[in-house]
Amino acid sequence: MGSDMRLRIGGFAGFLALLLVAPAFLGEYQVHALIVSLTFLLPALGLNLILGYAGMLSFAQMAFFGIGAYVSALMAMRWGTPFWLNFLAAGVVAGVVALPLGIPALRLRKYSFVMCTLGFAVIAQTLAKNWVSVTRGDLGLSNVPRPMLGLWSGGIEIRGITSYYYLALGLSVIAVLAFLAIVSSPAGRYMIAIREDETLAASVGAPTWRYRMAAFVLSGVFAGCGGSFYVHYYTVISPTIFDPYYGNTLLVIVLGGGVGTLGGVVAGSFIFVALSEVLRVAPDIRMIAYGLLLIVVVFGCPEGLLPLLMRKLRRPTHAT
Amino acid sequence: MQPDLTAALSMRGIEKHFGSIIAVDAVDLDIPTGQICGLTGPNGSGKSTLFDCCTGLQKATGGRVFAAGTEVTGWEMHRIVREARVIRSFQKAVVLRAMSVEDNLVLAGQMVAFPGFAGTFAIGAASRARIRGLRERAGHVLELVGLSHMRHAEAGKISFGQQKLLQFSTMLMADPRVILLDEPMAGVNPVLIERMIENINRANREDGITFVVVEHNLDAMKALCHRLVVLSRGRIIADDTPDVVVRQPEVVEAYLAG
Amino acid sequence: MLTDVAVNGITAGSVYALVAVGMTIIFGVLRAINFAHGEYYMLGTFGAWWAIETVELPYLVSIPAAVVIVGVIAFAIGVLVMRRLIDAPFQIGVVATLGVSLVLQNVVILVFGGSYKMFDGGWIEPVDIFGAGVSQQRIIIVIAALVIFGGLELMVRRTRFGKTMRAVAQNIEACKIMGVDVPRVVTGTFVLGCCLAALSGALTAPVTGSLYGGMGTAITVKTFAIIVMGGVGNVGGTLLAAWLLGLMESAVAGYLGLQFRDAVAFVALIAVLTVMPGGLFSRRERF
Repeated sequence: MGSDMRLRIGGFAGFLALLLVAPAFLGEYQVHALIVSLTFLLPALGLNLILGYAGMLSFAQMAFFGIGAYVSALMAMRWGTPFWLNFLAAGVVAGVVALPLGIPALRLRKYSFVMCTLGFAVIAQTLAKNWVSVTRGDLGLSNVPRPMLGLWSGGIEIRGITSYYYLALGLSVIAVLAFLAIVSSPAGRYMIAIREDETLAASVGAPTWRYRMAAFVLSGVFAGCGGSFYVHYYTVISPTIFDPYYGNTLLVIVLGGGVGTLGGVVAGSFIFVALSEVLRVAPDIRMIAYGLLLIVVVFGCPEGLLPLLMRKLRRPTHAT
Repeated sequence: MQPDLTAALSMRGIEKHFGSIIAVDAVDLDIPTGQICGLTGPNGSGKSTLFDCCTGLQKATGGRVFAAGTEVTGWEMHRIVREARVIRSFQKAVVLRAMSVEDNLVLAGQMVAFPGFAGTFAIGAASRARIRGLRERAGHVLELVGLSHMRHAEAGKISFGQQKLLQFSTMLMADPRVILLDEPMAGVNPVLIERMIENINRANREDGITFVVVEHNLDAMKALCHRLVVLSRGRIIADDTPDVVVRQPEVVEAYLAG
Repeated sequence: MLTDVAVNGITAGSVYALVAVGMTIIFGVLRAINFAHGEYYMLGTFGAWWAIETVELPYLVSIPAAVVIVGVIAFAIGVLVMRRLIDAPFQIGVVATLGVSLVLQNVVILVFGGSYKMFDGGWIEPVDIFGAGVSQQRIIIVIAALVIFGGLELMVRRTRFGKTMRAVAQNIEACKIMGVDVPRVVTGTFVLGCCLAALSGALTAPVTGSLYGGMGTAITVKTFAIIVMGGVGNVGGTLLAAWLLGLMESAVAGYLGLQFRDAVAFVALIAVLTVMPGGLFSRRERF
């Protein structure tokens, strides 16, 4: 237990140190890939919360991500609000949207819940395509302002790729800490109990439905915030953000990395985005390889890569 | 018949139908505060279903349930646990296997230490102090039931009998008024049965907790219970002190027939 | 207008029904959501198209050809992937079938290219029904759906395989103890379900007129909506839910605009599940 904890904290600290110095040694393209990984990390943390801690598989993550992106972009374009406000508003709006969706969806069994969340993504895409006066339809929004780090107007504009990288890293660290705070709070203990055995959790006084709703709303908040960063980095957004591809990538990150673990999801974000980028060298077979990889990963290590690795690391200490 | 509002638990006309099958048939039962009441009967006689209906796990087809004068009919399980302080155990699902023994206790104590929903999301010093308090209390409870040495073990890895004891101790963490135990001794070795009886008696004596115990082990029931109620085909067929009940011809017949 | 809406709705609904019923029986035995199911529909269309364009078979022969091709592919995937999902947690099934979906879709794109192709075949002469011109192909689709649903009901109730299938769906543990070859039943059901999807694809192609590698995804997600609304494992409910969806979609497309059509399924799904958690034709929640 103690050595495990030290291993984890050490692992995180080492990894963070590596990320901090990374831009000094990497080219622009690699830094960009790291930013993409960090962008996926936020919605992945949200998915980990709802799937790994409340036991519900949600396809709504990318819809919340897209909603957050649109909200943040529109606020910046129309009202010129500062980045921190757009970022928070994106999270809040996504969380608020999750609430009415959660009311019917969370009452259902796990399969129907999956379908409902998937359907929500389709509906969100239809809306983004057709609410032309706001979203400009299929064209999407372009020239989204770059992030302005200031209290209200003005401040420092994030431009270069390195400053984007550090912004992404800073936000990711905050998100990871927030995630840790949630899962180690008494509410987090209730969520784990609900995942393990819902009846038993209710029998010790946990209002299970409320906690599942909380996990769902918070998963929306994480995704919405992620969408905000995404849109101010790419400076364009269109309804394609709701395509299943992105949602699938998230699933791969969380399930492949290690659902219900924090380290697994962080590792998953980097490993699978990197893989996806590496596969770009062969664009024709990229998606085929990705699909095969999914199948291999899911049967080869169903609990995820990181738990597998941790077990391998731990085994020698048990042997002695 | 009026419900007994002074009783720890008062059931009036509880019925549960599954299609055309009547599992519980108009049961009236009062459990006075401070009693250890045994509930027995052949398999399928409706004992567990009656438990389920009183604790909100299943909705009764008809009837009303009162806990210390408050009507709890139709409440969800978590609310009955929190507000009426009526808590139950399960036959099969016993503990959260992936959590440590101590965490199982802390989890059960959370509802006392964190009464509000929003408060459970706090991680500040006050919240940490409360969790520390729960850990200390968990330590005492584990000592009482004799599980201290397993405090940090994974709950799924201790023996089944120990899991049942652990389940019993988690219920003590929730400051209950009434504890309903569903076969606490099934599959448990004689030494641990002894210890379970001791623990139930102590909780009853020292904390004034009322018990309803479903159990097939009649020897254990005789040693433990003040009163024994026998169910057969969803109806109460006997209700008296254990010594009297086991000699009643209807009971003997029901058991032989069952 | 109204007749058009009705005819289009019933045709589309019949197409969905043939795909969805396969998914429903697969879910029944495997308790896994098949995210690749629409791909077998796509493969069916491509199979027929390939048979016509490359082998120069007539359309009538291309239909069984497509079904056989997809059956072989489904058998391979059934043995390699689907069998492993017996007793696996449901997330495993989701990710594995997503992987299969990506592979199938992109292999087709790799082999045939990513562009739209025209489908040349079928009987598209209009027949007059209630004053509206309805192509023969549409009538064939509806008849095929009715015949196949009747056949399926018979098969599930009367034949040995059908009964075994139902037994596995009800209690897989008991079947294992009784010595039922569960992996074989799973593979068999899977191949059957995929062949139905392929048949649907081959029959629909003349109506839609075009095909492309990504066409399966939309079908997959609509199929989900149908089987949940119809009540899982409920063959008759699937047909009714599919027709209902087809009609609603066609009404929305006709009166509101085509762009809203694809969201109908899920608005309906969410609405239905809010009111009736067990689907339209079942009081009990079973999914």
